[in-house]
Amino acid sequence: MTSSSSHDPAAGADGTPDITPDPAGHPAPAPVSRRRLLGAVGAGAAVAGAALGAGGTALATRDSGSGSAAPGGEAAAATVDFRGAHQAGIATPSQDRLCFATFDVAQNATRADLAALLTAWTAAAEAMTLGRQVPGDEGDLNTPPDDTGEAVGLTPGRLTITIGYGPGLFDDRFGLAARRPSGLRPLPALPGENLDPAVTGGDLCVQACADDPQVAFHAVRNLRRLGFGTVLPRWMELGFGRTSSTSPQQATPRNLMGFKDGTRNIDARDENVMGRHVWIGEEEPQRWVRGGSYLVSRKIKMRMEQWDRDRLGDQQDVFGRYKGSGAPLTGHREFDTPDFAAKSGGAYVIPDDAHIRLAAPENNKGLRILRRGYSYTDGIDKTTGDLLGGLFFIAFMNSPDRFVTLQRVLGAHDALNEYIQHIGSGVFAVPPGLAAGQDWGRQLFG
Amino acid sequence: MTPRATHRRALACAATVISAGLLLAACGGDKDDSKGSGSADGKNASAKSATVAIAISDKDCAPDPATVTAGTVKFDISNKGSAKVTEAELLDGGKILGEKENLTPGLSGDFTLNLDAGKYQIYCPGAKTEKTDFTVTGAAKKTWKDDPALVAATQQYATWVTGEVKELVTGTDAFTAAVKAGKTDEAKTLYGKARIHYERIEPTAEIWGDIDGRIDGRIDDAPTAADFTGFHRIEQALWEKNSTAGLGALADQLSADVHDLYTKVQTVEYQPAAIANGATDLVNEIQSSKITGEEERYSHIDLLDFDGNLAGANEAVTVLLPVLKAKDPTLAATVTQRYQATATALKAYAATPGYENSGYVDYRKVTDAQRRVLAQAVDAYAESVSKIAGKIA
Repeated sequence: MTSSSSHDPAAGADGTPDITPDPAGHPAPAPVSRRRLLGAVGAGAAVAGAALGAGGTALATRDSGSGSAAPGGEAAAATVDFRGAHQAGIATPSQDRLCFATFDVAQNATRADLAALLTAWTAAAEAMTLGRQVPGDEGDLNTPPDDTGEAVGLTPGRLTITIGYGPGLFDDRFGLAARRPSGLRPLPALPGENLDPAVTGGDLCVQACADDPQVAFHAVRNLRRLGFGTVLPRWMELGFGRTSSTSPQQATPRNLMGFKDGTRNIDARDENVMGRHVWIGEEEPQRWVRGGSYLVSRKIKMRMEQWDRDRLGDQQDVFGRYKGSGAPLTGHREFDTPDFAAKSGGAYVIPDDAHIRLAAPENNKGLRILRRGYSYTDGIDKTTGDLLGGLFFIAFMNSPDRFVTLQRVLGAHDALNEYIQHIGSGVFAVPPGLAAGQDWGRQLFG
Repeated sequence: MTPRATHRRALACAATVISAGLLLAACGGDKDDSKGSGSADGKNASAKSATVAIAISDKDCAPDPATVTAGTVKFDISNKGSAKVTEAELLDGGKILGEKENLTPGLSGDFTLNLDAGKYQIYCPGAKTEKTDFTVTGAAKKTWKDDPALVAATQQYATWVTGEVKELVTGTDAFTAAVKAGKTDEAKTLYGKARIHYERIEPTAEIWGDIDGRIDGRIDDAPTAADFTGFHRIEQALWEKNSTAGLGALADQLSADVHDLYTKVQTVEYQPAAIANGATDLVNEIQSSKITGEEERYSHIDLLDFDGNLAGANEAVTVLLPVLKAKDPTLAATVTQRYQATATALKAYAATPGYENSGYVDYRKVTDAQRRVLAQAVDAYAESVSKIAGKIA
């Protein structure tokens, strides 16, 4: 798709959501009714909460605690189905908070140990997403409680727990070499990155998202606890504010640079787009991972002090958007389609090296990924006293090559690079959702 | 330094509250104040079951029958016509074991409990007679003392602790003699040899918080400088000042305290759950103060302390292992395997004669990455050990 054919001023003029014309030139799909969507994509993608109505939702079994004061029963219904065609936490609307952890399998652990752990994790994860405690002994005064307890009385907060497997898991340790998803290999070195091994990689990853940070943390903490002796935590990241919407029905949030950078994200409700860009399809020889996706994580440090000193005009040129409205520099409203051809005085209105120009599907042969990142902070730099933080980027795609292609462009040319640095990285195959009775152990090992 | 005596007894007795399955072996002659269980799980094969009817009225809530034998007891509560009295509770002393509330006229409800022999009361607030006695008869409940294997385990552990403290006394006397004789280098090599025996039996020593504080307290435990005494106070002088000057009184006090400890440990009666929980404490201790290098911050012989804590935990687990194997073979195998993994990880740093004759390398030479490997083995072991008490009690 060339950039010229994508210029359709009408598409954005009426505030149409961020649906970039796809390479085949289909018009933007007609709005899908909520009920139809729920029926079509299956329970796995059905989401509770007011946004999608009550259909397909499960009621929380947890007692309404102090955090459940939201009117209209929204909090009470705040669960997302754990099972379905796809894992929850990808196409389901972004929650406000993240706890993300990666693990390595312990040196002495066997295939049987890992399979048993994944089975235990499935039961625990499913219980927690329903707002229940980790299954086990309750109330035996001589035994440590199986659930650590800090989520008791909190609503589930649309908790989703999404599992992924890193390239290292498919080496010769567990007999998984023949089941390696074909796109799963370590990311190549990319321009401009400065990766810290302490926040890079891992044999497994767990993404827990919820509207309550304590619920998300509780989920990872309890899975970690079940993993003692089998997996070792490698790194963990807390995200405190989502930076992308996975549906235009959610307002586009701002990143720590104060900009809306998720406006043109994929609308995860759009099955066509998801099928073409995000879900692993029939072309994948490893059947077990069809319907899954690949997760790429990047810990992106922002040089916030320097950024805050940059003049507004330059900040806007760096992104290619107005800081206040979020509109592209060629438009008036946030969802106006950027006009990458527009010039003023011989120069592009959206500069050559603007972030949105380099990242735009129109300029990358239609290439799209589903972003689902969060802002993070690590406190203060001990040496300089500067703030440590930025974007914990998470994206889902049907091949990690998509990210590599994009990042080769962005890492080399993006004006933003003056203010950011990629310091952590991860790539994981995310299996499809679980059917009734299935668990992650049997799904992985077959 | 936390006094543990009360804590230990509470731990052992607490098990009786919960399930009939645990009742059999839980709590010796201790006077516990709870005899019922919150759920009838049917595990107690020898127990009988009984149903007790309670008709609540303005007058009272007398149980029928008023006496049953120990076992599963179902209480059927009904309110035929009292607007004033709408609930009934089963009390054990002041504690509510079971209740049914909001039984307005015409409603009924029930609850079921596992009850041991004892005197209870049925309580219905608002009635003319609010409390009526309810008696459960039967043989005194079985305790761990009825299990010869557990009795043998506690005796074996007691003998071992006493032997360790005896060696602690011998080692400490040699150490304090060297300190008083001004032999700094000799004192340094004797320091670890004495301490390892203490590190092995620390959960027992901690029963007496004052003695433990004087023997093993760290500078940050001491409210005032004068309260900082014992091994670590002498350690500080030996390694920081390379001197024994002014340590005479501290050496005498340390020697007297370990002698006192030897007398006291011979009076301790161990309970199986307390031994198991002590093992967890020891492994936790490795993680919280040895891996971090806090405990031996002047001498850096932390790996020797690690060895002591690990050996102490392993002894406690070993005496309980025959019972654990019978009750939960999977957990027994996991605990054994994780102990071996931890011991193997530690052994990588063994040296002869080692730093300060400790048998291990200087802990400062162990990198953060290496410490992390040790910590992960310890964490996994601790997690499995923490499950033992609930299985054997």
